[in-house]
Order: sequence, then structure tokens, then C-alpha cells
Amino acid sequence: MSRARARLAGGGTDFVLSVCVAMAALLVAMIFVVAAGVSFSRGASAFVDGAFGSQLNLAGTLAKMVPLTLVALGWIVVFKAGRFHVGFPGQILIGGLLVSVVALKIHLPAGIHLPLTILAGAVGGALFAGIAAWLWAKRGVNEILSTLLLNLVAVQILAWWVRGPFHDKTTPLPLTAPLPNTSRWPELLVNTDLHWDIVLVPVVAGAISFLLARTLFGFRTRLVGAGEQVARHAGISPEGVGTRAILLSGALAGLAGASLVIAGSTAPMGEDFGSNYGFTGIAVALLARNSPIASIPAALLFAALEQGGGVMEGTVGISSSLVDFIQGLMIVLVLAATTILYLLRRRHRASRGAGPRKQPAPKPELEPVR
Amino acid sequence: MTVIGAIGIGPFDTAWLAAALVLTTPILLAAIGELISERAGVLNVGLEGFMLAGAFFSYLVAWKAHNLAAGAAAGVAAGIVFAVIMGLLTIEAKADQIVSGVGINLAATGLTSYLFDQVFGNRAQIVVPTIGPLRIPLVSKIPDFGPALFNNDWTLYLGFLLIPIVWFLLYRTKWGLAVRGAGELPAAVDTAGVSVRRVRWMGVLSAGGLAGLGGANLAIVQVGIFHQEMTAGRGFLALVAVIFGRWRPLGVLGACLALGGADALQLRLADQNQVPTQVWGVLAAIAAALAIYYLARSRQGRQRPAALSLAGGVAASGVILAVLAPHIDLPDQLWRSLPFLLALVVLAGAITRAHMPSKLTIPYSRGES
Repeated sequence: MSRARARLAGGGTDFVLSVCVAMAALLVAMIFVVAAGVSFSRGASAFVDGAFGSQLNLAGTLAKMVPLTLVALGWIVVFKAGRFHVGFPGQILIGGLLVSVVALKIHLPAGIHLPLTILAGAVGGALFAGIAAWLWAKRGVNEILSTLLLNLVAVQILAWWVRGPFHDKTTPLPLTAPLPNTSRWPELLVNTDLHWDIVLVPVVAGAISFLLARTLFGFRTRLVGAGEQVARHAGISPEGVGTRAILLSGALAGLAGASLVIAGSTAPMGEDFGSNYGFTGIAVALLARNSPIASIPAALLFAALEQGGGVMEGTVGISSSLVDFIQGLMIVLVLAATTILYLLRRRHRASRGAGPRKQPAPKPELEPVR
Repeated sequence: MTVIGAIGIGPFDTAWLAAALVLTTPILLAAIGELISERAGVLNVGLEGFMLAGAFFSYLVAWKAHNLAAGAAAGVAAGIVFAVIMGLLTIEAKADQIVSGVGINLAATGLTSYLFDQVFGNRAQIVVPTIGPLRIPLVSKIPDFGPALFNNDWTLYLGFLLIPIVWFLLYRTKWGLAVRGAGELPAAVDTAGVSVRRVRWMGVLSAGGLAGLGGANLAIVQVGIFHQEMTAGRGFLALVAVIFGRWRPLGVLGACLALGGADALQLRLADQNQVPTQVWGVLAAIAAALAIYYLARSRQGRQRPAALSLAGGVAASGVILAVLAPHIDLPDQLWRSLPFLLALVVLAGAITRAHMPSKLTIPYSRGES
């Protein structure tokens, strides 16, 4: 009973913490807007209008949720396994690259072509993540360093891809030929950015939540994440579980890449469709306190920032780069707030006399983000 | 500058040397700071962000104050400000170093792009005067090499001078022992009565300040302008250089020179559609020298068959390519991704990982060892 209540209280603090961080970041954003000479009310209404005001803007916000949620889920999977790779930008790009191959080189009716194209994205992401997974499991290379490097390699691979082998000769721009409609997600709202891939958000979030909480794979993942030694003694190979977690997160990032290419506003594939989604997705997961379901509202907030900020540039003349700053700030604030809360709790517990020496300390509901 | 470029083999002339040194400097400055920080156990993924902040604020202050020294100081200060955030998060709050670095990169990219748009958005690009060369008397009179080596700006000299200084500090002083200890066995440093926190703070702040100066070098030494995301991955290259250099000052210098030299070569070859045979020849010579070095070492009982065969293979293929002189049009992107690919290969080697500070990215809490 008391444990259930404690968990509930923990979830409550998580929620309050995330809301506070989001409010603080928005407040900083508003300070910048006011400092630029735009009144508070005008700035706020321009932002809300840009994110939710019209069908077009709302559709843009919802469309941006898809890659953000998928990358956040990918981070949550590897986070639970204790493998903090940061290869999402590269996996998005390579996922997109494979998507362009299947979309342009294979001709099939829509009913088969689209699923195959989506699958190609997931496979591309997983394959690219597989390099980091292999380097980690077999050669002991720190997966953070390897994915940082692989991200930079992926950028160059894509730059070459759209200028070399898959360049559309009819344009001087680094673009592929337009991907056929049979390979694209159908539009959900006509003439907007919103495509049917939005259904991935609840479906995949639910699936990952179920996978982590209710399956043997999820149990093993969490066990390995909690402590490799314990898992090893229980006969679970941390290498095997870690590799599978990295591959799964790569597949999710590749799926995000597929959505960016075949549910975007333009038919050809460029080289910069990945934008900042790979890193912003991590921020989404942090704000969601690594809960798959909570990553949906967190992704909505980031998508609204992205969409609203983009529109604001046109309406009130505030550079949309402010959004990147606010997203980075949000990561910093989540990390700081989590730790401050953790330290406060420890002090609180110590002052109540429940010293860790007399009895085993209760597991803190909130641990610093590592 | 007109006299240089007279001697050399193919594209490897003194003009190439001068360009290589200039292109090495920003990476070298950032890498030295990062070396100290990583030896102390803190990995700054946000190095790119530190550099970008240094570039923007040095440019901004140099333009506003009409003072280049103030600009350089502002670049250092901006790097340090972001490093303070990094330190607060990772040393004080013990948050994850990688996630913190990702946040700092996003924030620095966004902040500099935003401020640049707001301040300079509706103006034509303003070019500020750049920090000029500081001619070193006598040695700069040496024909050919003199001007290339000794007619540069002070940030370049500082970068190269810092290598022996940091080597001395790291390996010959108590402070250096504490730094190395903080990355290997922080509990021992703590037991000796030296604060691990303090040592790690010094590491992070060095990384911030020097990366900021590296950014300032890009903005107000090399070009006199700022543009958004102008560091273009140089912060990551500095991280790579530290790995390549196996966390040692001389190694880092070699890695930075290789990166800068390759960059200068790529610039020189950009207008040619064939790789000159001299490039293959020089590649073969370097690889052969390495092979001989490994061979000599293996005689002393330190077997490294993998490295030996790799160097030998590269040397052989270099010779073959120099003789055949095939018409190879390597894509530009391959050149650019080469440092990252090589860093991955180097990381996969067991010997490199043995040099990596074992407590890199691991926070230290007293009593938890």
C-alpha cells in the first residue's frame, strides 16, 4: 500500500518537475522575445497561433511530434538498458537513405510499397546502430564516443548520396528524384504536413511501454540497466541485451527518419531532413522522465515549440533559432532540477533520522539522470 | 607571402605548410583544453558549443569595442561561461556528461544563431579587422620556411607552445599528478587530500577557455566574420584528436597536425580532379616510417602485429598508387569523414583503450568509490 502511494507520489513529483522546467524554459524564451522589442501578449499570441492557431499550423505541430516521439522512445529503450548512445541523428539519416533506395528503385503498388519503405527505414537505422553495438559488444568501444563519430560520418554519407549516386540530374540542388506516391505515407489532412504516420505515436509508445514493463525482454533490459553484475549472475548476458536495445533504438530512429522523408512536405529527399530531431528527441525523453507514455505530451510541447517558433519568425520577426536555444536549455534545466530534487530529498530523509546506516536506505524515487 | 610556395614536393610546399598550421590552430587549442579535462575525467561533448560561443562573442565584442584583444578575451570568457554550466551539471550535480554536453551544444548553437540573427540579421555582413601576424625577428628571415612558420598570429604560437607546457604540467608537477589521478583513481586523489572536484573544475574550465579561444581564432584571426554554425564540426574534430593522440600531449599535437594538414591538402586539391602522385608517395613514406618504427619496437619485445601489418599495407598500396597514378576522383565527403572513420578504427584497437582515462565520464562521489 505504502509502496503504491510512494510510487504515485514519485510520479506526481516527476510531473510537477517537468511542468516547472517547461514553464521556466518558456519564461526564458519570453524574456528573449520581450528583450527583442515584441510585447509579451503579442509574442505569446503569435506563438500559440503559430503552434495551434489554424488547421495548417496544428497539422504542422502534430506532424513534428512523430519523429520526436520515436527518437524519445529509442532513447528510453537504451536508457533502461544502461547504454547511453547518442547516435540518433546518424540513424535517422541512414534510415532515410535506405528509404530512398526502396522508394526509388523498387516499383510496387502502394499497399506493398509503403510498408516495405517504412521497414527499410527501420532496418537502415538498426544497421547503422548495429555498427556501434558491434563495436561496443565485441571491441569494448564506448558506445557514446562511437555514435558521436558515426553521426558525423552519416552526415557525409548523406551529403555524398544526394550529390552522387542518387542525385536527380534535373536539378543542381543536392536532392534525390521525387519519391513516388506509392512509397509515401498518405495525407491525413489534405494539403497539410499531417500524414497517417501520426498513428505511430500512440501505437509505438504503447508497444514500447508494454515491451519494457510486461515482457521478458523488458525485464532483462531493466535488470541489465540496474546493474550488470546482478544480471550476469542471473545468467543474462549484458552484451546480448545491450546489443538488442541499441538495435531496437536504432530501428526507432530509422522509423523517425522514414517519417521525415516519406511524410514530409517535399517529395524529393535532401540531405538535412534530420535537422535537430536526433538530439531534441533526447530532450523529449528527459522531460518525459523516461516514461514512454509521457513522451507523447513532452513531444507535443517540443513540436509546438518547433512549429510555433518557426511561424513566429514570419509573424513577429523573432529568429527561429531561439527554439534551438530553448530546447538545449530545457535539457540543462531538467538535469539540474532532477539533481536538486534528489539532493533535497536525501537531506530531508537524513534530517528525519532514517540514516542509511541503521537500516537499508529506501530506494530513492528519483535518481539523478545519468 | 609571395615568395613562399617556391619549394616542396608537388602540393606539399611551404604554402601548404602555412595553411596547415593555420587550420591546425583552432582544433589544437580546443584539443589541449579537452585533453586536460579528459585526463581529469570529464568528457566535454559540448566542446563544439564552447567553440561556437567563443567565435560569436569574440566577433561581437571585436565589432562593438573595435578592440581585438577585448574580442579574444570575450571569446575565452564565453567558452568559460558555458564550461561553468557544464561543470555545475556534471561535477556538482553529477548529471550525465554526455547528455549535458548535448544540451550545451544545442543551447550554444541556438543562442549564437539567434543573437546573430537579432543583431546582424538585417545588415550586410560586417568584416572586422583580424588579429595580424606577429613576425618573430631573425627566424622569420629563413628563406621559404621562415615566413610560413614564424610570421603568424599569437594564438597560433600559443597553441603550439601549450603542448610542451601542458606536457610538463601533466607529467612533472603535483598538479598534473592530481589531474591524471582524478581520471584514473579519484579515490586516491581524495585520500591524498586533494579535492577531486577542484581538479575536475580546472579541467573543464581549461577546456572551455581554450575552446573559446579556438573559436575566437576562427572568427577574428582567420576571417574577421561570423556565420551561423561556423565551427562546422571542429569541436568534434578536437574530441577526435584527443582520442587519436591517446590522451597524451604529443599525440594530440600529432593528431591535430594530421587533421590540419589533411584539411589544407584538401583545400589545395579542391580545384584538381586528380590526386597528384606525390600525395600517394608521401602517404607511403609516412606509413613506411610507421612500419619501421613498429618493427623496431617489436624487436624490443613489444609485439604489435596488427599495427605493423596495417602500416605495411598502407605503405605498399601508397607505393603502388604512386607508380600507377590512377585517375581517382575521390568524393569530397570521403575526405571529410576520414578522420572520424580513422578515429573509430583507432578506438577499436585495444591499445588505445588502455590509454583512455578509466574514470572518463564517471562522476565521483566520496565514499562510493
